[in-house]
Amino acid sequence: MAEKNLEKRSETRPTVRACCDVLEKDGEITLKLEMPGVTKEGLKVNIDGDQLEIRGMRDVRIPEGGEYLIHEIRDADFYQLYTIDETIDRNKIDASLKNGVLTLKLGVKESQKPRRIEIAAK
Amino acid sequence: MALVRYRNSIDPWREFERLRDEINDLFDFDQTSGSRGLFDRHVSPALDVIEGPDSFTVMCELPGIEQKDIELSLTGNVLTVKGERSPEKDKNTGKVYRQESWSGTFQRTISLPQTVDADRKVDAVLENGILTLTLPKKEEAKPKQISIKVQ
Repeated sequence: MAEKNLEKRSETRPTVRACCDVLEKDGEITLKLEMPGVTKEGLKVNIDGDQLEIRGMRDVRIPEGGEYLIHEIRDADFYQLYTIDETIDRNKIDASLKNGVLTLKLGVKESQKPRRIEIAAK
Repeated sequence: MALVRYRNSIDPWREFERLRDEINDLFDFDQTSGSRGLFDRHVSPALDVIEGPDSFTVMCELPGIEQKDIELSLTGNVLTVKGERSPEKDKNTGKVYRQESWSGTFQRTISLPQTVDADRKVDAVLENGILTLTLPKKEEAKPKQISIKVQ
């Protein structure tokens, strides 16, 4: 399916929130979002000021003319919007998609990291 | 706590519409069983079974699971999807703020209609976290078109 069609279709499709894990390690915030069926082409991650917008458009081939015997998988795209504060370095954001899991690494600004203040003994 | 801009772009009516759509959706989809079967499994991935003209398609949502961690078996007409998602190894070293994903073993067993040809090749593809199985139908179960000659 072409990317253009995905975006066009996405305008009218319902959206759901993806399951998300939020972890912090070594001055980096990691977001892990479960987005089964989302391809690299269907994934849009945007940062607008302090808003982090994640849209995952599913591209799953469903056989034509079939009849559902069991239907549990929701026919929807993934969408969520996070507000990130000033401590996140906008230039240090890294995204990777593997096996339907999106990993976003948000770097924390150096100036915001905890630091030790040396006390000068006199 | 840093100050963040207030987002005033929420349209209250749009939110009501979304709520209505979500409630309507509840009736369109089968509920994923929480714990069904002999063993109390904590998780059961969502599944779709679609009957096509000459095959059955089974789709299963398995995000973040490697091919080697999935076990598929077909005994007669009973299909079992089994596997394990191991918890993150490096979790202990980091701080967890929120965890919505699951880990552990899962198993789904479904009885397929008698018309599945279990002896023929079953295609299984794991792509982008979705497992797709294609099971052919028996020859005699396929719809046949009989052409009638007009004389």
